[in-house]
Amino acid sequence: MTTPCSSAVAPTAQKTALLVASGGDVDELLTNVLASEGWSIQRVVDNQHILALARAKPFDLIVTGRETRVAEDVELLRKIRSARPHVRLIILTDKFTPGDVISAMREGAFSYFSAPFAASEVAEMVRAAMAEPCWDDGIEVLSGTPAWFSLTARCDLATANRLVQFLHGVRDPSISEAEKDQVISAFREILINAMEHGAHFDPSQHVEISFIRARRAIACRVKDPGKGFSLEELRHAAVGSSPEDLFSHATVRDEQGMRPGGFGILLAKKLVDELIYNEKGNEVVLVKYLDPPQSSALNQRHQ
Amino acid sequence: MGLQISIRESGDITILDLRGRSTIDSGESELLSQHLQKLVANGVRKVLLNLIELKQVDSSGVSIIVRTYVSLKRQGGDLGLLCPGGRVLEVFRVLHLLNTIPTFENEAQALASFRPRGHSATS
Repeated sequence: MTTPCSSAVAPTAQKTALLVASGGDVDELLTNVLASEGWSIQRVVDNQHILALARAKPFDLIVTGRETRVAEDVELLRKIRSARPHVRLIILTDKFTPGDVISAMREGAFSYFSAPFAASEVAEMVRAAMAEPCWDDGIEVLSGTPAWFSLTARCDLATANRLVQFLHGVRDPSISEAEKDQVISAFREILINAMEHGAHFDPSQHVEISFIRARRAIACRVKDPGKGFSLEELRHAAVGSSPEDLFSHATVRDEQGMRPGGFGILLAKKLVDELIYNEKGNEVVLVKYLDPPQSSALNQRHQ
Repeated sequence: MGLQISIRESGDITILDLRGRSTIDSGESELLSQHLQKLVANGVRKVLLNLIELKQVDSSGVSIIVRTYVSLKRQGGDLGLLCPGGRVLEVFRVLHLLNTIPTFENEAQALASFRPRGHSATS
């Protein structure tokens, strides 16, 4: 547990970033993003130089080089955070193992990008890091192995976005990118629903999350702190509309003065194979079955 | 990435070129909502959303588009989608919205589709 964010750098001070050269368009884009916001940038050629500099003076943001193994980045992060607990460190890497994402989250990395990744996505996360005054108690890993990890996430969109990016960083050759995208998109919809409807985006509240990777399936459990709901009574959501009139919920929302919405649960349901709610309606499990390669074509014909 | 919206016109059809993503993350969908609401309030009744450069959409973005589609249809107007691809196409496909909201693969075809619909909308 870290100390409160009030001890972070004062908002009026010039922000400083320490970047390890990654080459290509990443360096150029990050420089442009940081410079456009008036940040001071210091560059080093590799991760070896980070620790000494970070101990000597505080940096608000550190972006590692992609040539280093994640285990080394995480060890570096641990050492820096012992002196600078609020530092935002983004890991870029070409060299990773399946458990690295969990290690990075556990040690309090701000974000994590494993190759291949788009420079624009890194730049966007850098913008998020620049904008977040208080972030480092957002994600807490409770237990973790590559097959089963559990965590809590603070109920705000910035934390949801960070968590989703960590999931995009998971590389598992036995899961296609399309399947991974579907699971992450479904999870994201359920997570934001949980944060919004279960906690009204109250950052003092947390959502409980578990991911389980079985041989032929991925399961994800999300529990929010709210009072729950009944799917059958959900007239303002598309999941409660008849298939012939998918838009009837929009009329209900208009009548009730609600903002446009209502497609989250339906979208999640369509992207995974099963969406199972508990009786109270504040806990849900998503299940995505992973077809063995030889039977994929047959199963697609059955859909 | 955010969301960039460019607005142009072709006759009485208003075309919105969307670039980036329409998600709840940093208010991108809210930005789209504001643009569409303003257009409809100003009397626009035929809207074409050019999605060729839209890389991501979530339920918030879908909801804005659906609400605008329903609103325009009630007022005798119409809304079409142009060139959704990748993840965006996947979202519209799994929600079966492509069966309802007219979707086109080229702009000329999309623009042409509005004209007969516009004449028959009041019948």
